[in-house]
Amino acid sequence: MITVSHLTKKYPGRLAVNDISFHVGHREIVGFLGPNGSGKTTTMRILSGYMPATGGTAKVAGYEVHRFPMEVRKRIGYLPENCPLYPDMRVDEYLKFRASLKGVPRKRRRSRMDEVKELCGLTETGARIIGQLSKGYRQRVGLAEALIHEPETLILDEPTIGLDPNQIRQVRQLIQQLGQHHTILLSTHILSEVETTCRRVLIIKDGQIVASDVTDRLIRRMKGSARIIVEIKGDSEKINQTFSFVPSIEEINAEEIGGGWMRYTLSCPRSVDPRASLFEMAAQHRWLLRELHMEPGTLEDLFVSLTAPENVEEQKK
Amino acid sequence: MTGFWSLWKKEMGSYFHSPIAYTTMTFFLVAMGIIFYFLTLLLTAGVPGAGVIHLIFGSPFYWMTQMVVVPLLTMRLFAEERRMGTLETLLTAPVADHTVVFAKFAGVLAFFALIWAPTLLFFAGLHLLSAEMPPLDYGVLVSAYFGVLLMGGFFLSIGIFCSISSSNQIIAAIYCFVMMLAVYMSGFTEYLTYERELIELARLISPQRHLGEFSRGIIDTRPVVMCLTGTAFFLFTSIRILDSRQWK
Repeated sequence: MITVSHLTKKYPGRLAVNDISFHVGHREIVGFLGPNGSGKTTTMRILSGYMPATGGTAKVAGYEVHRFPMEVRKRIGYLPENCPLYPDMRVDEYLKFRASLKGVPRKRRRSRMDEVKELCGLTETGARIIGQLSKGYRQRVGLAEALIHEPETLILDEPTIGLDPNQIRQVRQLIQQLGQHHTILLSTHILSEVETTCRRVLIIKDGQIVASDVTDRLIRRMKGSARIIVEIKGDSEKINQTFSFVPSIEEINAEEIGGGWMRYTLSCPRSVDPRASLFEMAAQHRWLLRELHMEPGTLEDLFVSLTAPENVEEQKK
Repeated sequence: MTGFWSLWKKEMGSYFHSPIAYTTMTFFLVAMGIIFYFLTLLLTAGVPGAGVIHLIFGSPFYWMTQMVVVPLLTMRLFAEERRMGTLETLLTAPVADHTVVFAKFAGVLAFFALIWAPTLLFFAGLHLLSAEMPPLDYGVLVSAYFGVLLMGGFFLSIGIFCSISSSNQIIAAIYCFVMMLAVYMSGFTEYLTYERELIELARLISPQRHLGEFSRGIIDTRPVVMCLTGTAFFLFTSIRILDSRQWK
């Protein structure tokens, strides 16, 4: 279980995490989404006890991270970004070292090592030197290490970064399997990963949580909205005005595409379909129309609409 | 101190994985061997045997080897962990920061002692070859090696401090070399100034002076206290730096 309330982290001249609060329940897999530099890694580092927060509290497994760092460290498996390992050690050697460092009793070490190696598909790899393993295998070693002391909570910072599609699928299946017994907070910026593995999603931007909901509901919410693409030629001011009077249209984005043509991207709820009335308007005003179609929304649209930097939006306009 | 022994064992193991350790050891033993060779030439020329140990440990050559060996052994200890990111996994494991620093210090000190161990063979050889009159006083030998370890501990703690302050091994090594050189050079203050207090202070610091005394069999408490407090100071500062996590 992870409970974060009003967590803030300031770096000199920069606010990395700005007053965020969230909760990850028992045996829940929560995806932590956000663009690079949005504060995901900082939040996870605070949760792991690697660095202190400037304000607010973070509790893991019932212990406040700052006050009881050792209790928390015993109960979490933390996989930092880029999966740091000692390249000159052998896999078995590394797992044995980490097991003893994490206080796994001597008698249990062998069996624990076998268990995590089995779980992460490393049974054949024990004698190999970590530096000579492929990125995918190194990621598995990192995961095996995070699991070795049977932690109740896992904090995984971009566990699938840099992997090929097959490896991503394997790691994803592994995480789903782990979710049956562990509480997992997982950061990523691969959206399909979240759709398939996480029950709940947190979207963070500039250190603030901009969306937090059950994945299915978020997707449904996005699928409930749609975009209409219109390519039209005519008096642009008049067109803008006319479109803005259509009640079901929530947002209008216009873009000049040359030759006097304009491309409009209109957002509206999927339940209403204003395409017929748009066509009628065009006919009435004798505007030329060469494209008119509807696209359903995706999680990606939600992510982009919530996290795209404003200046990019302005450039588009 | 949970985790101390696991970390110590891993540190010791990592010396045998790393080419730097073997290179350092080879360099050191070759350098000491050369010093010893010239020493035996002196002995055959008829220099009285009582000063053998002093000739080895008191020579500037000895200090040159130390100023190369210590930075080479300590530079990677933290700088490399920081660069590779493994410091994060290390410091989020259930071990305290001071345990990490102490274990690394104990590891490097043990390895330092280990590369010194073969030099005992020099004296064993000397003892075997000079059948008529053993030129060695074993009490002096013990005192000299005690001095080497004490001074070594002090300089290694400087090395750890330098390694923890930087994420670049080479820069850590340079820092360490410069700091050691400064401490060593304090012994030459009398060439620079006539200020009596300054010269007296420099005499208290001067490591070659202290080791010179140890290698004559004199165990003075002042250098012992200086080395131990110096070691404690640098280790404590290192722990504080690790604690501050200011490098992000």
